[in-house]
Amino acid sequence: MAEAVLFYLFAAGVLAGGSQVVLRRNPIYGAVSLVGCFFFLAGIYVLLSAHLIAILQVLVYAGAVMVLFVFVIMLLNLKEEELGELRFTFWKVVGLVAVLATAAVIAWRALGPAYPSTGPARDNAILLAAEGFGGVKAVGRTLYLAAVLPFELTSLLLLVAIVAAVVVAKGKI
Amino acid sequence: MTSIGLPHFLIVGAALFALGMITVVTRRNAVGILMGVELILNAANVNFIAFNHYVEGPGKVTGQVFSIFVIVLAAAEAAVGLAIVLAIYQTFRTIDVQETDTLRQ
Amino acid sequence: MNFNPGDLYGVLPALLLAAGALVLLTSEVFLRPVEPDRRYQAWVAAAFAFAGLWASLAQLGDPAQPLFAGAAVSDGFAHIVAAVVCAALFLSCIVAFSYLESLRATRGEFYALALFSASGMCLLAQATDLVVIFISLEVMSLAVYALCAYLRRGKRPAEAAFKYFILGSFASAIFLYGAAFAFGASGSTRLADLAATVRSGSATTLVYASAALLAAGFAFKVAAVPFHMWVPDVYDGAPAPVTGFMAAGVKAAAFATLVRILVSGYGEGGRWRGLIVALAYLTMLVGNLLAVPQRSVKRMLAYSSIAHAGYLLVAVAAMGTSAPRADAAGALLFYLASYGATVIGAFAVVAIIERKLALSGLGDDLSSWAGLSEKHPALAAAMSLFMISLAGVPPTAGFMAKLTVFRSAIEADLVPLAIFGVITSVAGLYYYLRVVVYVYMVPEAKADAVQGGRLLSAGLAIAGCALIVLWMGVLPGSFAALAQSGAAVFGR
Repeated sequence: MAEAVLFYLFAAGVLAGGSQVVLRRNPIYGAVSLVGCFFFLAGIYVLLSAHLIAILQVLVYAGAVMVLFVFVIMLLNLKEEELGELRFTFWKVVGLVAVLATAAVIAWRALGPAYPSTGPARDNAILLAAEGFGGVKAVGRTLYLAAVLPFELTSLLLLVAIVAAVVVAKGKI
Repeated sequence: MTSIGLPHFLIVGAALFALGMITVVTRRNAVGILMGVELILNAANVNFIAFNHYVEGPGKVTGQVFSIFVIVLAAAEAAVGLAIVLAIYQTFRTIDVQETDTLRQ
Repeated sequence: MNFNPGDLYGVLPALLLAAGALVLLTSEVFLRPVEPDRRYQAWVAAAFAFAGLWASLAQLGDPAQPLFAGAAVSDGFAHIVAAVVCAALFLSCIVAFSYLESLRATRGEFYALALFSASGMCLLAQATDLVVIFISLEVMSLAVYALCAYLRRGKRPAEAAFKYFILGSFASAIFLYGAAFAFGASGSTRLADLAATVRSGSATTLVYASAALLAAGFAFKVAAVPFHMWVPDVYDGAPAPVTGFMAAGVKAAAFATLVRILVSGYGEGGRWRGLIVALAYLTMLVGNLLAVPQRSVKRMLAYSSIAHAGYLLVAVAAMGTSAPRADAAGALLFYLASYGATVIGAFAVVAIIERKLALSGLGDDLSSWAGLSEKHPALAAAMSLFMISLAGVPPTAGFMAKLTVFRSAIEADLVPLAIFGVITSVAGLYYYLRVVVYVYMVPEAKADAVQGGRLLSAGLAIAGCALIVLWMGVLPGSFAALAQSGAAVFGR
């Protein structure tokens, strides 16, 4: 019961924050509401027993990536977007409605018999919560033992990002 | 409705995906479009962790490991993307995507 | 699982390219106060590219083996694609050397980014795990975005990089969402586990949704319609050597991964063939149609690359049935190699002409190419060869490539698709031969219109590309044998 209350609370927060990103004209309000969205998402991750990911979401995503966004918005001194036509054309509306309908259908069809919402066989995490599922040790073991190639590639990715960002932002060559 | 299952989390993910797509398509501000992409990445993250909790074999955390990589990638992409936004600002003095559309023939 | 050092041998091409990039970056730091002669950087990059090419070809005979507990694979298909990518990088570095020297814009980071991007492409060809595909895709893409934005004199390069970045990261995000569904359907990120799930027939909605989203994400990278909107602006705004590298390397890596995901991940139960056939029809039609009215050669080549993506999609569609799968894979590899050589050469000529036009103050229009045969006969001959090869006229590589692709399509019961491809190729003759006509038969409007410095190494690269194009067209045997050995992976 408490889990349900918490879930609906966090989900409402996520959707509220996400919708403000679309609707707000001022980019700073959009960025800050996105930070709020990330905090509520971290709450949802805790409900799913993914404790390390929840902490990383707050520390890295909300704490580093969004700070970078806010920094750039402040640096460029962005004003509110000009009020004007919202770039809504007929085909865009059709496309968006199609996307929403498809997303809803996909999510609803997942209610099929393959994924019953109740049942003892499906809730692995609760069975294994005592073993540190979602904790640092379990995730670390998987990361460094089973996912070693993606892990090493990520270091390459970060180096490429650094070099690329410096080359692009530095000035005219 | 009182027992939370996989479909609930998938619907949250789908809603975030839809919101992200709307943001990318409709916003005129370049930084706003990047925030829409971040929303889509978070939708995928929610899906990964939800599937990891309900679908994956006992004790395995592959979905969570994948979401770590997604967070890392979001950081890297934000860095490069904002650098390109800075470059656009240096060149065009604005980051409105309609005014930077000079190449269209 | 313990880390097996033998796995590193399997990813040797990518390792060599990444090591080369690191060497370039660190050498730039140490040599700085000594007034470095930066010309060595291009040749170091080309040397590492050649080393990667040699490494991938040397491993061709080895049996296919999984690496890193199934996250990647070292098989003939991956080696051929890595060879194509390394050859593309080698030629592009040589072209870029003189282009950047003439602009006095040589920096080590350019070649380092190109090497990083190529290593991402090689890893993309070898990946059999959705995580590795995703990260390699981003390594490749981030480096290419920065390469597009490298020369920022004027508005076009910045805008090109901006559009490419926005749409590219959007496509990656959609790919990731599809990967989430694939993970949910199969419980694992390995393509082999996804194939097992598809075969067993469970969780079908998620499987189809994931297939559609993954295909949409990659359809952007390969410039399939209706995800082609970025191609003309990006190819037009980026520097010409970078465009050549993108058109050859990114396409090769993206098609290789698309094939691996669709064939190894979904197999026949995924029922993706209809989707690919529809994309192929649309892409061939729109690409050829939109290229017809183009007056700028660079933009025309951009639209034509969309059309060529359509022909490649025909080969992918032909892999949808089991019987001719190895033939279709071989046709795909041969087409990627021939298209890569041709387009790098074509964009190298465009690079030379672009520099000369910029120095003379002329615009980028077909009329500026008039009379090229009198001033620079070698360039004119090379460009005509590339145009003829792109159009698919014998005895060039393009003709052999189209022949094998359409033949494999006919063998796969896709006869209407093959006929449609031939018809659109004929339409392509118009805009390709128009360039040849202007080069040879239209007299110059102004005297001494095209002047400027000599770009010697670009000429070397053009000669190399022309040689490859002719060799593949006249004596395709050795290349075809290589392609077949790479395609044997799918010959089950």
